[in-house]
Amino acid sequence: MSTAPSLEHDTSHGHHAAPYQGGVMRWLTTTNHKDIGTMYLTFALIMFFIGGAMILAVRAELFQPGLQLMQPEFFNQLIGVHALVMIFAALMPAATGFANWQIPLMIGAPDMALPRINNWGFWLLPPAATLLTLPFILALFGVGDGAVATGWTLYAPLSVQGGMGVDFAIFSIHILGISSILGSINIIVTIFNLRAPGMTMMKLPLFAWGWLITAFLLIATIPVLAGAVTMLLTDRHFGTHFFNAAGGGDPILFQHLFWFFGHPEVYILLLPIWGLIPHVLGTFSRKPIYGYKAQVYSFIAIGLLSVVVWAHHFFTAGMPVPALLYFMYSTMFISLPLAVLFFCWVATMWRGAMSFETPMLFAQGFIVLFGLAGLTGLVLADVAADAQYHHSYFVVAHFHYALFAGGIMGVMTGVYYWLPKWTGHMFSETLGKWHFWLTVISFNLTFMPQFFLGLAGMPRRIPDYALQFVEFNAISTVGAFILGFSQLIFAYNVYKCVKGGKKATDKVWEGADGLEWDLSSPPPHHSWEVQPVIK
Amino acid sequence: MDSPPGFTDEELARRRAMSRRLAWILGAVALAIYLVGFIYYRP
Repeated sequence: MSTAPSLEHDTSHGHHAAPYQGGVMRWLTTTNHKDIGTMYLTFALIMFFIGGAMILAVRAELFQPGLQLMQPEFFNQLIGVHALVMIFAALMPAATGFANWQIPLMIGAPDMALPRINNWGFWLLPPAATLLTLPFILALFGVGDGAVATGWTLYAPLSVQGGMGVDFAIFSIHILGISSILGSINIIVTIFNLRAPGMTMMKLPLFAWGWLITAFLLIATIPVLAGAVTMLLTDRHFGTHFFNAAGGGDPILFQHLFWFFGHPEVYILLLPIWGLIPHVLGTFSRKPIYGYKAQVYSFIAIGLLSVVVWAHHFFTAGMPVPALLYFMYSTMFISLPLAVLFFCWVATMWRGAMSFETPMLFAQGFIVLFGLAGLTGLVLADVAADAQYHHSYFVVAHFHYALFAGGIMGVMTGVYYWLPKWTGHMFSETLGKWHFWLTVISFNLTFMPQFFLGLAGMPRRIPDYALQFVEFNAISTVGAFILGFSQLIFAYNVYKCVKGGKKATDKVWEGADGLEWDLSSPPPHHSWEVQPVIK
Repeated sequence: MDSPPGFTDEELARRRAMSRRLAWILGAVALAIYLVGFIYYRP
């Protein structure tokens, strides 16, 4: 892919006329994709630490059996809000931050197509996150009984009976959903309409492809979640009985509606990461990405399959045998396009001139650990095995291999890869490597024992447990604290890089390929004033 | 310079207008999915 700046840009029109504002007003009113991307990423980092602090309190409670630090009600609240914060306020905003920063740079667009909606999409997030966490603080002053305590799945009838934390969560989910849909619409129209001349869909960077499928999934599934929680709200306050068996409703209906959103949500979180990983592997293997088309078709296949497999999350709730078989086989079928992705990732590195800078280390850590998530997912997809593992710590371990190793470590891969481009400075490789090795070791120390706990029969979401589970819980808690505190290295490294450091070149990485590396580091305030042309 | 030119300002404005139209359609689809759940009757 090569480019040639081809037009002198007329600066006498619209977007150059507005005076550049500094201070708080810059961030409140900005319509610049890079500013908004920075806000999304900063917000995600803050919420990552808030969600992390919540789960460290949970792990501290689980260090020993018996109730040590908190009552079960508060324990339940921490677990549910931790998940909601990490999914909706950390991982999703981080991926949207990447999209904002990178998609215009990578496709040669001057900005996102709908900049004001872009600003609005971000500024909906802080109030939504506040609503999620506010009930904790209100409870301290004697108002209400704390945050939502149903787990992130909000299953009825527990959520119908829960305290006002459920109402806060319902309102928050509506706002977060609107934010996600606005972001998704913006990404779709930007990719469809603002690609540089000559950039056909089959020349689109894989990161943009991953986000395109994600955006369609969000538009298809977020309204279903919004509908489900609206029905929950009317059940709670307006006398309906959608999910109340006593009134002719069906609690299992909520599970269907929730997981029709919830399963694609896993791919919503992971597809942007699967899109960025090949760029990193290609760069540090100094080879072109292997199997571009195969990866694009795999993204599409995974996107389509993700909306037809939802019921594997509640096999044990009871359903007809043909339905069990269908959901089991369709779930296992997803492993085929995913295996294609794994093959392409490994083949990209095969016989490459590899070097192991921090982004490459994280990308390789991602492949190995996310591979374990895939393998254990196959186990859970098996109806017979799932009857044993359902609601056990095996599930907790599985989805943390998917969403921490696959999601968070993927986000860190992207941050380390693009941070020099965004800031114009190189980060500390030494700190980056410390961060990587501490993360990988402590992550496995935290979550590998949880597989064994689950296999031994320890149920999830309990603050107390039988004595046979003591050792693995203690190891897991020690690992969690090392994992949590080692993320401070990441925050410090990013902060140092933003503040200064060795100047980054425009291309940053020797083997990098793509439009974004033709721009200066950091890119100018208005990206692509002179539009590139793809030959 | 023998490569074809990038977007002119007019072309960019046309593409932005197309983007707005597509955005309204996608927003309407999302709203329709949300509303259909309330109308749909499950025997």
